[in-house]
This record gives sequence, C-alpha cells and structure tokens, in this order.
Amino acid sequence: MRRLSSIVLAALVFPAAASAHATLQSTTPKFGTEQQRAPALIRLHFDQKVKILPGAIRVLNGVGRNFAGPSRADGTDVVASVRPLKLGSYTVRWRAVSADSHVVSGVWTFGVRVPAPSVNDAYGAGGPTGGEHVVRWLWFLGIALAIGALGLRLIVLRGLEVPRELDRKIAVAAGLGAVVALQSGIAAFSLRAEDALQLPFGKFLYGDLSPMTATRFGTAFVTMTLGFALVLALVYLAWLLDRVAYLVPAFGLSLLLAGGLSFSGHDAVDPGSSWKTELADWVHISAASLWIGALATMAALLWFGAPQLRRQAFLRFARLAPVLIALVLSAGIYLSIVRLPRLHDLWTESYGQVLLVKIGLVCVALLWGAFHHFVVRPALDRADAGFLSRIGRSLAGESLVGISVLLAAAILVDSRPPARPIGHSDRSTLIGGSAATLTP
Amino acid sequence: MLPHAEMVHWAFAAGILLVGLCLLCEAIVGEEVWQMRAWRKYLWPGLAFSLGVLLWPVMAFFTNSSIHMYAHGSWAEVLMLAGGTELGLVHGRLRSPLWRLSWPLAFVVTGTAFIVHEQNPWFFARSAFLHHLLGWTFIVAAVFPLLLVWRPRSAVLQSCFALMIVTVSVMLFSDRDVAPIFGHLSSLAGTPHR
Repeated sequence: MRRLSSIVLAALVFPAAASAHATLQSTTPKFGTEQQRAPALIRLHFDQKVKILPGAIRVLNGVGRNFAGPSRADGTDVVASVRPLKLGSYTVRWRAVSADSHVVSGVWTFGVRVPAPSVNDAYGAGGPTGGEHVVRWLWFLGIALAIGALGLRLIVLRGLEVPRELDRKIAVAAGLGAVVALQSGIAAFSLRAEDALQLPFGKFLYGDLSPMTATRFGTAFVTMTLGFALVLALVYLAWLLDRVAYLVPAFGLSLLLAGGLSFSGHDAVDPGSSWKTELADWVHISAASLWIGALATMAALLWFGAPQLRRQAFLRFARLAPVLIALVLSAGIYLSIVRLPRLHDLWTESYGQVLLVKIGLVCVALLWGAFHHFVVRPALDRADAGFLSRIGRSLAGESLVGISVLLAAAILVDSRPPARPIGHSDRSTLIGGSAATLTP
Repeated sequence: MLPHAEMVHWAFAAGILLVGLCLLCEAIVGEEVWQMRAWRKYLWPGLAFSLGVLLWPVMAFFTNSSIHMYAHGSWAEVLMLAGGTELGLVHGRLRSPLWRLSWPLAFVVTGTAFIVHEQNPWFFARSAFLHHLLGWTFIVAAVFPLLLVWRPRSAVLQSCFALMIVTVSVMLFSDRDVAPIFGHLSSLAGTPHR
C-alpha cells in the first residue's frame, strides 16, 4: 500500500520527462475532403516544433501501399512529398515526437476525385471488436433505462397518486440511465478512435481525435453527450423541485437521442439506406427502448416498491405494450427486407445469423408478453398477493429477455449487412477495394 | 468554429470566481443573513451545477487529445455532482451532511486531472506552472470542504474554502497564455503572447 502511494505521489510530482505536448492545428489536404487534383505534398501544421520520426507521414491506399516520401521539418510544420496518386481513397497516418518525449499521432482520410472515406474506415482499422459490442450494449441499456423510467412515470403512471419514494427511485433510475449513456458513449467513442488510430492505450491518450468528431459516429457522440447531460440535469431538477413537468422534455430528448445509436452505426451509410430506413431505425430503437426499459423499471421499482399501484400500472402497460410491439415489428420487418434482399442471407451471412438470434429472442419476449396480456391480465382482478408476487418475477424474466435482445441489436448496429447484388453496389466497393464507406 | 481555449478558460474562471465570491460573502455575513432572501441560498450551488453542465460541451468539442477529453469529462461530472448535492441539501431534499463529502471528492478528482493531463514540467511556461499549481492547490485545499462536513459553522473553514475557490479562479484566468514563469520559457513553448 505504501509502495503504491509512493508511485502515485511520484507520478503526480514528476508527470513528464520534459517539455511540450504538440497539437496538430491544420493539415493539407484537409480532413475528409475530395481533391480534384492529386496532392503533391502532405503538410501538418503544429502549434510548436516537433521531432521527426522515420515514416512520420504515410499516405496509404486501399491495399496499404505507401505513397509518401521521406518527411522533413519546416518550422512548426512537417512536410512529406507524395508520389502521383490515382483516383481513389487514401489514408494519412502521422506521428511525431512532442517535446515531452510523447509520440503524438493521428489519422485522416481524403479522396482523389472520389469522396473521402470515413476515418472509421481508414486503412488498417480493424472494425468493431467484442469489447465494442459490449460497450454499445451498455449504451443501449443506459438509453433504454432512461427512456423506460421516464416513460413509466409519464405514460403508465400518469394521473395516479405516486408515492414520493417511488418518484425518487424513478428519478434515480432515469438519472442512472443518462449517466450510463454518457459513460458508455465516451467509451464507445474512445474504442472507435483507438481502432482508427491503431494505437495502444498509452499512446492513444495523446492521439488527435479531431478527425473522429467529423465522422457520423463523432457527430452522434457529440450530440448524444450534450443531450444526455441535459437529460441528467432535467431529471435532477425534476427530483429537486418535485416538478414532474421537467421530465417531459427529458423524455422527449431521450427518445430523439435514441436515433444516435443507428446514426453512429453502419445502418446510416450502408447501400440502400435512406431517410426512410433511418426513420424506421429510430422508431425501432426508441419503441424497443421504451418497451424493455419501462417493463424492467416496472418490475424492479414499482412491483415491490409500490404494491398499491401494481394492478393499475400492469393494466396500463398492457395497453401500451401492443402499440410499441407493433412499431418494433413493422419497422424491424421493413429494415430486414431492405438490408437482407436475399432470404438465404439470414443463415449464410453473419449479419443474418445475428438477426436470426435476435428474432428468436424477440419471439420469446413476445410469447412471454402474450402470456401476460392474455392470461395474467384477465386474472388480475381476482389475484391474491402471492399471485402478484409471482407475476413480478415473471416480469423480471421478460425484462431479461428484452435486455438480451438489446445485446443482439448492439451487435447488429456495429455490423455491416451483406453486400447487395450487383447493380446496387456503390462506388466504394468499385473504387476502394477495402470496406470503405463514402460518407465522411 | 470553436472559441479559443483562452476564452473558454476565462468564461469558466469568471463562473468559479462568482462561486468563490458568493461563498466569501456567506462566510463574512453568516448563513442566517445570507439566506434571508430565499434565492440566495441556491446561488452558488446552482452556479456550480450549471458550470458542470456547461463543461460537457467543452469535453465534446475540445478533442485535440484523448487525455484532455477525459479531464474535461471528469470535471463536468464532479462539478455536477458537488453542485447537485449542495442544491439538494439547501433545498432539503438531502438530509445527511455526509453528502458534502462530494466537495472534497470533487477537489481531489479535479486536482488529479489537472496534474495528469498537464504533460509539461513546472517551468516549461506559465500555463504549465499554473496547471501544476492548480492541481496541487485543489488536492491540498480538499481538506477545507472535508473539515466543513463536521464543522459546517466554522467561519475560518468557510473563509478558507471560499478563498481557495477565488484563488483557483485567478489562476484559471491566467493559465492559457504562452508566457515565461519566473523568467523561464521553453524554446518549444512557442511565441510569448505578451
């Protein structure tokens, strides 16, 4: 313990070996631009002088061939000549030694007479990992918890005499959801950036994330971070001032922000996507989040925390759930048809296989919900306390299945649907050779 | 189009200065007088909470390195937590004085983040010096809100707490300039601003 304290103290007193941490201020060509003429030079402009490393600038095509010549320092700039570039998309990877002896690094993309690929699809980026799926699942869970808790309070318990303690618990659940959404958003963005930058964590701490924020993922991350910070503040003020009205904008905002999950995934840029698919995806995710989140919150907080409200809440939720399920299913079927134009993709492609698992889990949840709707609801009036207690456990079980559905959804959002038949392919598959998407 | 980092530092320094001045006034006139107008008891906790919320855009938009993003994020979270618990206490929604432990926690987290995210040594430039000084000031000054948890009516502790926050705001006002510190300026730090 004493040794650990000494190390922590030493790390705080002597934080760096020496000198400065350089920041990239501008580049030529600029991030994510389409160049009509191939650039003959790559220029990085820093806020201070840096030391050159061998291969400080690399210009890579879709198969990893480097077109950059040796780099040289020019004041606070680092410059490298570039051999003639053909039509296509290119990745620039750079690194330089800051005065603090840390290696600062970055990546960006540009296109020669084609749009630049997203920096997420830079050459060398490996794509989503298992860790990213788990983080995105947590992101889904946080959003579902926030939407579900707020929906439970505003829709299911609307007009009822809600005990103050239950109100507090619902506010805590919604706030916790917003916090989880914020933290997992930061983690998801960091993991995506780490993959694009291709750096170990120690060096990633000094990696330049600016090009990442210009991507769709970055835009979604910024919007969702700001939005959920506001949701958190509104939920807190609603609890502090005892004003349920403050939960209304928080609920609306959370529902809107759920769209960021698809906006930041592959769905928004894959061939065949349009405003209709994005709208359908938003309906699919927000309806599913409300259904699963409200169910889980009802099972965890209301069923045993406010037994006097169980019957009314159950009956009201039973009226709301079919509407949500209809929305989830109709949007889901539409999206499946768009993304999987061939039926056999369901069992031959990994995307289809995950979708099959998700469909299976949804079927289990639907059957469980149907049992609650058609068997439990009519029996509720003559139910005794023991029966109601067992129903609470059954609701918790259905919620767990719903949470598993969200895991499958998280993997699907991170995954790329199978390529469409010839005739539907976009320019990226013809030009880049790699799995590059064209929308920066 | 992002504002210059200096502007952002000045805006937050102004906010923190207001918090410090409110605390100082409360320490001088006493809690009873300060709270004679009901809105005044919400003033500095509300300001601290709002500063926490406003730090989120700084975290999301200033992404020139991951470590800056994490530092800004941690400040946003602890300021929201500390301001929020204080609001809860003055409004009567929270009862236990132990909630005030969120302030020493916020000080320690803030100080550590300042020191860890500043990669230059003390005498590299004025900003580096002040970042280190800010970090250590926060860590050492955490003792005042910590003692206030058990001695909430101590005028000395209240004054020290307020003065520390005023001091921190003054440091924040001046920590972005490229300028020498005690005659030292690294050749790598760039051109002095003034």
